[in-house]
This record gives sequence, structure tokens and C-alpha cells, in this order.
Amino acid sequence: MNKELWLKAAAEKGFESFEIYQAFHAEKTYSWFDGQLDSFVTSSVTGTALRGIYNKKMVGFSTEKDDDSAVVKVLDAMEQQAGAITSDDEAVIFPPFEDAPEPAASSRKWVRPDAAQVKELLSQIEKKILAYDPAIRQVSFLQWTEQTDSRQITNSLGMRAEDTGYAQVLVAGAAAVREGEVKDSYLEEVIEDLAGFDADGFVKKLCEDTLAKLGAESVPSGQYRVIFKNEAMTSLFAAFSDIFSGERIGKGISPLAGKVGEAVFSEVINVVDDPRCDKTVRLMNYDDEGHPTAKKTVVDRGVFTTVLHSSRSAARMNTKSTGNGFKSSYASAVDVRPMNCCILPGAKTLEEMCGEMGDGIVITALAGLHAGLDHVTGDFSLQCSGYLVKDGRRDRSVTLITVAGNYLDMMKRAVCAGNDLDWKYYTIACPSVAFAGCAISGE
Amino acid sequence: MLELKKLEEYLCACMNSDADFAEIYEEEETKEIISMLSGKVESVNDTVTAGIGIRLYKGVQSVYAYSNSAQESEILGLIGDLTGAIGKPDEAGTGKTPEETKITLTRVEYENRHPARIDFRTTPLEEKTALLTRATDAAMAVDPRIVKVQATLLNVHQDVQIANSEGRLISDTRVRTRMMAEAFAKDENSFVSGGDRPGAGMGLEFFEETLPEKIGEEAARVALVNLSAKDCPSGKMPVIIDNAFGGVIFHEACGHALEATAVAKNRSVFAGKLGQQIANTCVSAVDDGTIPNAWGSENIDDEGNFQQRRVLIENGILKSYMIDRLGGRRMGMEPTGSGRRESYQYEPTSRMSNTFILPGNSSFEEMFEGIEKGLYAKKMGGGSVNPQTGEFNFAVGEGYLIENGKITHPVRGAALIGNGKDILMNIDRVCSNLERGQGMCGSSSGSIPTDVGQPAIRVTSITVGGTANE
Repeated sequence: MNKELWLKAAAEKGFESFEIYQAFHAEKTYSWFDGQLDSFVTSSVTGTALRGIYNKKMVGFSTEKDDDSAVVKVLDAMEQQAGAITSDDEAVIFPPFEDAPEPAASSRKWVRPDAAQVKELLSQIEKKILAYDPAIRQVSFLQWTEQTDSRQITNSLGMRAEDTGYAQVLVAGAAAVREGEVKDSYLEEVIEDLAGFDADGFVKKLCEDTLAKLGAESVPSGQYRVIFKNEAMTSLFAAFSDIFSGERIGKGISPLAGKVGEAVFSEVINVVDDPRCDKTVRLMNYDDEGHPTAKKTVVDRGVFTTVLHSSRSAARMNTKSTGNGFKSSYASAVDVRPMNCCILPGAKTLEEMCGEMGDGIVITALAGLHAGLDHVTGDFSLQCSGYLVKDGRRDRSVTLITVAGNYLDMMKRAVCAGNDLDWKYYTIACPSVAFAGCAISGE
Repeated sequence: MLELKKLEEYLCACMNSDADFAEIYEEEETKEIISMLSGKVESVNDTVTAGIGIRLYKGVQSVYAYSNSAQESEILGLIGDLTGAIGKPDEAGTGKTPEETKITLTRVEYENRHPARIDFRTTPLEEKTALLTRATDAAMAVDPRIVKVQATLLNVHQDVQIANSEGRLISDTRVRTRMMAEAFAKDENSFVSGGDRPGAGMGLEFFEETLPEKIGEEAARVALVNLSAKDCPSGKMPVIIDNAFGGVIFHEACGHALEATAVAKNRSVFAGKLGQQIANTCVSAVDDGTIPNAWGSENIDDEGNFQQRRVLIENGILKSYMIDRLGGRRMGMEPTGSGRRESYQYEPTSRMSNTFILPGNSSFEEMFEGIEKGLYAKKMGGGSVNPQTGEFNFAVGEGYLIENGKITHPVRGAALIGNGKDILMNIDRVCSNLERGQGMCGSSSGSIPTDVGQPAIRVTSITVGGTANE
């Protein structure tokens, strides 16, 4: 793409400012099944998103066609969009940030394996899983993925920003069968260098998690003390992470609207959003509007302290962007999203938390998160599974139950955050969290 | 789209390897999303998705490459990656004669079953925003407690062309239109929402029969019901799931487990059960991708095979799976035209189209007979399933308590959970009021439009997860 041509044409057309955002994604995925390479996928895609301010209105057009000859047609379409938009939102395209903090650098040292090494790894993992226990009947999923993502933002005000991220991830699934009952589990691990990878430990964790699910039954409905294990807590916290969004708070459709400065969670809960956190896979020095990112305390000992903002949501609430204007893909509109956001870990292990709980349920997995929660009220009702704890020790597994309640009410009943925060490849993560009481539906 | 000769050249290069099948999928899609909040147009987003996906098979091994670039050097580079992965010719060659790698394509012509009349790409923006204004105004006029309305218009025009080493060259154009309205209702105690999201495989003429006003009014009606709803009780109880989007129960509890993706690798509770009874005898179900202008219809699937009407279950007996080309190879069965994908960025796999339970004999009133305490799920939210274990869940969007055979009061916050193989056996009554509803289905080949559907069904016992502390 000839960016200068597009910027010049936009200026001549009368655009007050114009931005070219490009995202490049390349991926190699190896899937293994039944002793051989099952599928191999390789890709290379560049997407271009154009944004411009015309008559004070923000307009957008995204394309995967690298076609400079379309410039007149595209700019005409964007001009027509401006005529249709009737919102009073202030449109902002940022100039370069001269006083932006020094960019943080990732400490990851990736050692990329060649195809033969990947195939050997997958072959070995499959053999180890199948040999682990007679009840393990199938490797239900086995995949190695290498992916590269780059962003470039160029605008008519002089902004030139770019970065690149890389990750390689192993994901495996195992299925166990006993007396007609089938249970499965999945495990993923970000692996910087295969030389340091503990294949036996990985297989042991996957298989033990799977075998432990066998014999699971429901429980009588009632109020239980509950611990959400780190993965389950992460999925619930991530599903409700839009409650911190200035876009939703500004529209009055977040349960946290009007509650800055109030105790909204238990005092054991601290939430930090730090896009520059180098423990995560994707370190972001600027958001998708080119605004520098920064570490923020969102919830301080239960008190809601910081609303996350993009330029648009900030303008609506008469404040400044927090550098949280991110897109879900290059083609989507800029929204407000947490980036490398977590509940800060505490000091206790999961075992110590179970000991303190005495009797209760550890929820290890949640399902139906895309449908079973109400983002306006915070109400939720979700299928879950896990295990019972009796006298502080793990008892039988539990399945086909639901956990239900109101997210804010539940977070006020948090009694302890564990020490097991694990980012894996997530941009939102949590340690295990214990709650004084939750409504469980079962038999 | 690539010219025939160029496609033949590329396919020939693909087959000059250990591959026994090659396919080139091309796509160009224009999508427009217009969003309105309480009467003001917030955004208009136009997106052009365009790229190519190339797939090679060797037996049941598959290699796939995709790119948005139409440059010859890029495409040849992808083919090089793929032939390298699946096995390049060694010094002795592939063992194939030049005739065996030569591809001669023949274009397959057919009659378009899903014509579109009013093209959004040439319709002025103000006519499209006027549709959203009509829905918004109608919702706001329902009741003063409706305080906010979010309305979105989605328009899609997708051209695909598929060529393969069997000499088949075929194209399709898919046009889809959908409006999504969400109304927010508020009183002194609660702030809740309700929605309506109809769509079809046609152009803007969709709104000649499905009036935007009706969409706005329906969203407002659901929001007001939820405003007066009480927390839902918990436990096992009989549940009546009404028609249209209620069919998500069959989609989740059974449909996904009948896809070759799960069945071919023995990862489904229904694997190996063709000809066996898997549902109560009152249940018959189909997956029909041929319904004219339906949301989940298309002339051909994304592997270039014609869409079909597949009878999945007949009087409780499992009759067919939904099979894509690779799944067919694994299962030793013919593909059923079920290979679908979100875009060229996904390898196709077996997917549903318009999936629904066929009408039964019970009247709506008969469904409620004999229920002392139960749940009437008038509208469903989404759900999900683990095909390996059969465990599913879904959310109830609009629900009512049934007491002594009568609907008493609305309830909110209900989730239904269970196991697919159990629930199909526990359907004891099927009503005659078949309707379909529109949704987006997510799976390994991305998010695709599908219709779900059913007449009202009665399940004798299902676990209801509610928010009431009872």
C-alpha cells in the first residue's frame, strides 16, 4: 500500500485527519492425530483499517485488498458515511505523543523449533498421554501453533508507531472412559524453548485432571462455600471485564456506572491493568489508537478507582484516554478493552485455601459464558464442574451443576485471592479466589 | 477471482506432489454494519474481506494455506509450503504421469435458489438508517420505561469460487441481511434489556415482510417482561421450550454431536449409532440448507458441493450425520454438502445450516397438561456443548414459571443444563407450531450463520439453574 498516496488523497478530499492502521498476522499450526500429522495450516494475512475525520465525524473502512486504485471510491464511501452519522461524539485522531514513556521490552527469548522438532514433540506427547493410564482412551486434541502479529499505525498528523509480537503454544486434550462415562480435559502451555519443556509434567497434569473428572456426579441444590480455581476465575472475570469500560459506563449500561470511589468488591480484591506487563505474551506499549499505555490500579482493596477509556469514551465523560482503545480485530471499531489485566495474587496456595474452606466446592471450569450472563445487571447463571472439598481435602468430582448469582454481590463475598496467577497466553488472568457463599443448582 | 487457466495451472502445481486432492477457495465479501443508539447513528463500518485458501489432501491428512494476497508469487509460495508439507516429489518423481497431474476445469452452472433483489451496496445510506430509526421509534413508543434502544443493521454480500483437482469449478453469491434491536427498560428497582434479531438470506427486501417496527416492538416487549420477572428457582423440573430460537437446544444438545468433525474421530456420543434410537419416537429432525432465502441457506457449501436437505432423525432413529469432504474420507461415507467456513481464513469442516425439529401433533395447550411446577422457556439465549461428553448448557432469554398447568409469572436468570443423549429421550411432547430463528454458530471453522428451529417441545426433566435462593 502506498500510504503517502492515501494520506495525500484524503487531505485533498477534505479529511481533517486520516489514519492507516495495518495488522499483519502469520501462523503455522500443526495438528496431530492417531500417530501422524493430521493437518498443517500456514497463513499470511495483512488487513488495513482506514479511519478519518470528515466534518467532525469519525468514519471507517477496512479491507484486505491491497489496491491503491480504489482510493477515490473508498474515500467517496467514507465521505458518505460522514453524512449519515448523527452522533454528537467527539472524533479524535491523535498526533504523536512526544512525552510518551520509553517503550517496555519483552523479556521472552523464543527459540523456534523446525517442523521435524514439532512433529517429534507431538508424537512423543501423544504416546505419553496414551500410555499414562488404561482409562485414557484418546488424545482428543493435540496442536502446536506459532503466530506472529504486527501492528503499524500511520496518520496524517505524523504518528508512526509499530510493534511485533510472537508466541508459540502447545495445546493438548485427553479423553478418559470408565464404565461408559466419558470425560475430557485440555491443557495449554506457552513454550519459549523446547529445551526447557517438561513433557512428562505436562502430560501428568493433563491426564490427572482428566482422570479426576471420572465418577463425577451432581450435588443437591443449595448455598455452598466455593473456590473458583484460577482458570475458572479467569474466564468469569474476563467475561465481565467490560464492566470497567468507559464506553459502557458512559452509556449507563454497566453495573459499575456511577460507582467510582465506591467499594464494589471485597477488600481482598485488587485489579491492575498493565498493558506493559512483561509477564504476558503480548506486551502493548500503545493502544490501537496510538495512545501510550500505562499501568493502572482499577480496583484498590475493593474500591473502584479507574474507568478504562478510549478517546471516544473519554470525550463522552469529559476525561482523558487511559490507552485502552483496542480492537478485537483489525477490521472492528476501536472499543474499550482491558489489556494485560489481572486480579493481583495473594499469598496462599489452593491447598491452603481448601483447608481454610473446610467443606465446599472448587469450580475448575465454566461453560456458556457467551450466553449465560447479563452484562447490564451483572446477573449470571453458568454450567460448571469441579470437585467437592470435605474437611479441607479434595473429595469426589462434580458435574452438571450451575453456579448463579450477581457478579458484584459475589465479588463482595470474596474472602481470599490465591497465589496461583498464571498468564499463559491470556491478556486477562486471575488467581484462584474463594467466596463465602454461592448458589449452586444441581439435583 | 482467478481465471480458469490460472486455476488449472495452480491446481496442477498442487497435484505435482504426494497430494491426491487439491482445492482452491476464493472469496470476496463486502460487509456493512450500521449502529444506532437511541436514534442517533453512531457508526457505519464497511469491511472488504478478500483472500484465497488452498487445501491439499493425502488420504486423511490435510494441509491448508491462506493469504489475502492475490499476487502470483505469494500463491506459488503457499503452494510450495503445502507441497513441501504433504510430500514433494523426490528425484524419482511423484510416480504420477503428466496426465495425472493435468487438471481440466469445467464450470458447473445451476439455478440460484436464493435470489436477492434490493442490493445494500447501491442503496443510499439514509434509506438504511431510516430502517433503524423505524425500529428505534417503535421500541421507544411501547412504554415510557423503555429508556434506551441499540439497533444495528448488518448487510453482507459474499462471492465465492471453488475449484478442485476433480475438475469442478463452481461459484456462489450469498446475500444476507439482519437487524438486531436491543431495548433497555428501567424502573425504580431494575435495569434490564430485551432483544430481537431476525435475519434472512436476501437483500433489503427482507424488511418488506419483516417490518422494522415489529423488531423494535418485540425487543421492547421482552425487556418489559424481564423488568417484572422474579429470580428463577433451581432444580430438576419439566420444561417447555417454545419454537423458533428455542431450537438452540437441538442445535447444541444434538446437532454439533452429529457433525463429522466430532463423529469421524469418535469424539461424539452419537458416533457409531446410525440406525439406532437416540431420541424419543416423537422426535424427527432435519438440517436443510436448501430453504429459499433462509439465513443458513446457500446454493453450495464451501467445498463446492450442492447444499442438501438432510434427515438427521426420523421417529427417534438416527438416519444421517452432517459430513464434509475430509470427514467423509475418514468415515468412508459420501459428503452431505455440509462443508462450511466463516471465511478463507478457515479450513472448512462439517457444519449445520438450518437445523430444526419437525412439527408434532400436540396442541400448545396440551403441552402444559399435568405439570405441577415447571418452566416455560418462551425465548432462548445462546448455549454451548461439549460433543465428546454430550454436556450442554444454554440460557433462557424469556421464561415463565408453570404452576398447576398454567403460566403464572415471568422469571429471569435461568440456565438449562444436561446431557444431549438424555434430553433427546426425555422429549415427550412435540407441538405443531414450527418456526425458525436466526443465530451465529461458532466452531473450528469460525462463526457462520445458521437457523435453529423447532415447534414447542416438552422435556420431562431438566436441570434448571436459577438465581433464586430456594
